[in-house]
Amino acid sequence: MMIERKKLAETVGESNLYDDEATLEAYSRDMSFANPTRPRFVVKPHTATEVKELVKLARETNTPLVPVSSGAPHFRGDTVPSTGGAVVVDLSEMKKIVFVDRARRVAMVEPGVTFGELIPVAREEGIRLNMPLLPRSTKSVVGSMLEREPVVMPSYQWDVSDPLACLEVVFGTGDDFRTGQAAGPGTVEEQWAVGGRQKAPYGPHVAAWHRLVQGAQGTMGIVTWASLRCELLPQVQEAFLVGSARLGPLLEMARWLIRLRLVNECFVLSGLDLAAVSAQARPGHLQRLRSALPAWTLFYVVAGYEYFPEERVAVNIKDISALGQRLGLEPVPALGGISARELMKTVQQPSGEPYWKLRYKGGCEDVLFLAPFDRLEVLTELVARLALEDGLTVGEYGVYIQPTVQGTSCHCEFNFFYDPDDAQDVLRVKRLVAAAVRSLLDAGAFFSRPYGEAAGIVMNRDAASLDILRRLKKIFDPAAVMNPGKLCF
Amino acid sequence: MALDKEIYAAFAGVVGEENICDDPALMPAYFFTDFAAVVLPKSTAEVQAVVRLCNQFRLQFRPICTGWTGFFRPGTVLLDLRRMDQIVEINEKNMYAVVEPYVTSAQLQAELFKRGLCTNLKGAGAQCSAMLRGHGHLDQSMGADDRNHLAVEWVTPDGELVRLGSLGSVGEWFSGDGPGPSLRSLISSVVPPSCTPGVFTKVAMKLYHWPGPTRYSLTGYSPRYLLAEKPPNMMARYYSFPTLDQMWQAEIKIGEAEIALELMGFNVAMVAANITTSNEEDEAMFKRLSQEVQGPGFFVIIAGNSPDDFAYKKKVLETIIAENEGMSLKSVEDPEIEGILLTQCTRISASVRETFRPGGNFKSIPIMGQRDLTIRWAVGAGQAKLPLIEQGLIADDGGGFFGWGVEHGHLGKTEIFCKFSPLNPEARKAVDAWAEQQSNRALEEKYFALTMGPPEQIDSKVGPALSNYHLWWYKVLATLDPNEVIPDKGVSKLHP
Repeated sequence: MMIERKKLAETVGESNLYDDEATLEAYSRDMSFANPTRPRFVVKPHTATEVKELVKLARETNTPLVPVSSGAPHFRGDTVPSTGGAVVVDLSEMKKIVFVDRARRVAMVEPGVTFGELIPVAREEGIRLNMPLLPRSTKSVVGSMLEREPVVMPSYQWDVSDPLACLEVVFGTGDDFRTGQAAGPGTVEEQWAVGGRQKAPYGPHVAAWHRLVQGAQGTMGIVTWASLRCELLPQVQEAFLVGSARLGPLLEMARWLIRLRLVNECFVLSGLDLAAVSAQARPGHLQRLRSALPAWTLFYVVAGYEYFPEERVAVNIKDISALGQRLGLEPVPALGGISARELMKTVQQPSGEPYWKLRYKGGCEDVLFLAPFDRLEVLTELVARLALEDGLTVGEYGVYIQPTVQGTSCHCEFNFFYDPDDAQDVLRVKRLVAAAVRSLLDAGAFFSRPYGEAAGIVMNRDAASLDILRRLKKIFDPAAVMNPGKLCF
Repeated sequence: MALDKEIYAAFAGVVGEENICDDPALMPAYFFTDFAAVVLPKSTAEVQAVVRLCNQFRLQFRPICTGWTGFFRPGTVLLDLRRMDQIVEINEKNMYAVVEPYVTSAQLQAELFKRGLCTNLKGAGAQCSAMLRGHGHLDQSMGADDRNHLAVEWVTPDGELVRLGSLGSVGEWFSGDGPGPSLRSLISSVVPPSCTPGVFTKVAMKLYHWPGPTRYSLTGYSPRYLLAEKPPNMMARYYSFPTLDQMWQAEIKIGEAEIALELMGFNVAMVAANITTSNEEDEAMFKRLSQEVQGPGFFVIIAGNSPDDFAYKKKVLETIIAENEGMSLKSVEDPEIEGILLTQCTRISASVRETFRPGGNFKSIPIMGQRDLTIRWAVGAGQAKLPLIEQGLIADDGGGFFGWGVEHGHLGKTEIFCKFSPLNPEARKAVDAWAEQQSNRALEEKYFALTMGPPEQIDSKVGPALSNYHLWWYKVLATLDPNEVIPDKGVSKLHP
């Protein structure tokens, strides 16, 4: 038994139900190597009530639901149905910015709200988002947080779940639930009436329920809104670049910048990634930038807030200068034709078009994981050897290293760029990605967010955790209708 | 309530005869209950074996690390983890330390100071386990609650060994979340680990930079240690304000400016408790300080990474205080008292003075989360204490509450307690009634709901008010604990 078309139309309205060839084809694949599988329907609910009804219908009829909140292009395969007969629940029409609260540094949004939509509203109030590196313009804020994407200001990431605060979810059972402070007492509206804002993420009781929904790729339920902690808009900012042929010294500097909380944005890019991030849409610009850049570049921003901002910036720059001298590194305002200030403006917004990962060759497959600072050089060398065996030199793929959770680990991302029209190129990247995942895993890389084929390899390494996760899945999605086939479910 | 001889022998076979006791004459020394036995495992493997025996014999168990809170039903097997006392690793580069349950905050902090690092010690005191979830004086700059844990080694209620996050995947401690959904969702407790399902045998804790000395240079003797030499680039002050709103505005501005190593919203009763060595001194000091302050206030420590950094932070602090008409408490500017507070409030060594000393016992309502919201509730809870003070049932603290910003004011903690004599049944009854009334008010007026009550109250009132979380929790517990060896459905009672 599957959901009847009529029931879906009654739930979301005929105009929000799609089963035409073009739409189903568009949702059947993404930019990843996931096998294309056409959904049976695509629906675009507008309210949490509609979402709840959809989940109940799915459960009654054992129909797989695939939640999607960001717009195309998708890159991870997690929004491509793994089984036939699925209904894609596209939340992009749920676009309400519920509130932005400057005093409490928190905002609440529905899943269809993109970074490009929330950033100006937050800015108007005097706050900003701790966001991932150049999200594509269609990227959902809620989707990014649920994926535990790394954020560019690691000093403000106290916990890996940040900046997610609270959320409302419809579990696979059809029950709705609010996490953290939002759980109650009372409705969120009743909480607002006494001045409550849904910010504290933990609880209720001995669980931190938001952590169960994060990283689940929609396998536990569908989130209908989330709140997020925001940071103050700086009054003064100065950006710097530090170039080096070696990764090690830059990581050491980044580590101390974060430990001493001297900087806001802080990450390391390989030459190709920095060129791709900075390139303008004119022929040859990316190539010219790349040729002038060092192998590795550390980028950071020093900021001052309400009180004596210039003085704070000056003090921190002085302390950083002493640190740089100790490490034999020199921060500069521009490097290889790239202005640190311009780069700062770039990374404080979503990506321009085309999306930065598509600028070099039109396609990109990422290998991403967490690792400690002192393991990164070994892991990057390992990938360099693997790539070379397949005829790819170091400068032909990108590397993005993002310190996370106040310097307790780093997100490391290899960006393997390819030409989607070149079958050989596609095949090589596919081969390389598979080899890299296995080798990196054996060398200590932690794939905390495994996607696609890698998920099976990663999840199966830890049988005890796998067992608990499957037991939880039976509680929150007993009919296994929520995005079946993903992770270990 | 001694164990059957065969069962006793099975436990003794795991931990050794010298590490188990079911002598009814000795066990009440632990807590006022009749344990089935107390066992002291030394390792994760022993914990696992003991838990499996509990499952085999259908015996309910509860672990304690350093112990303090908890209500233990008669017949419970107590896992006393005091033999698991090793600092497994201090990873300076990646800013975490791995500890066993009986490593105290004091023990860990002493090692960390030598490396220019620190951890957030819980307000319960430096003598408590370092791995506890909770809040403390350093929350402002060193995080809090469940947010300082990384990877965790966990023996589940049915005796399985689960290694969370990177530990399970690659054998390292730097991350506790994933792959996929995080199992930290289950084991981060609102209350100490003794109330969560299973046993945490090792935990990686996030570390923070410590700008202070590698050790304090002290003179004097307990209970009055004095700081021989004030560390450079550090300063402690207490500021009072004409109104609560001005205090709150100053607190939030200090958070936003990211200048405070510590911001602790002590009321003056707690300052007095900290700097005195007896109840008589305490009472006199409280009266003196009450005359000095102009209203509610807080205690602040600033510390610079460099002289310039310190000068900048001091300038910002003084500006914010002036803007909000704050006044520095002269008594705390006295270098001797400043030194006492600087050391005690970074090493969290005066918690017992603040809580137990005046009456012998105390009852607390702690609330985590949104600070401005909980302050509003606490004003009423403080006023409700005044009749009890007038009747002489609780120690006089002016009806005070306390609290502070967490993570530079993003979150917060507010707490209010009554200090009373446990030998006075009338006082206990009055304090219990006060706590119940104020908890009920918090729930009815939609401020917050305490989830640390008795199971019947959770089922009838608190759970339904909080998205029915209790029903989900019971399902989780049922799947983790098929033999029901966790008492009280994992719901804690702090006090019998």
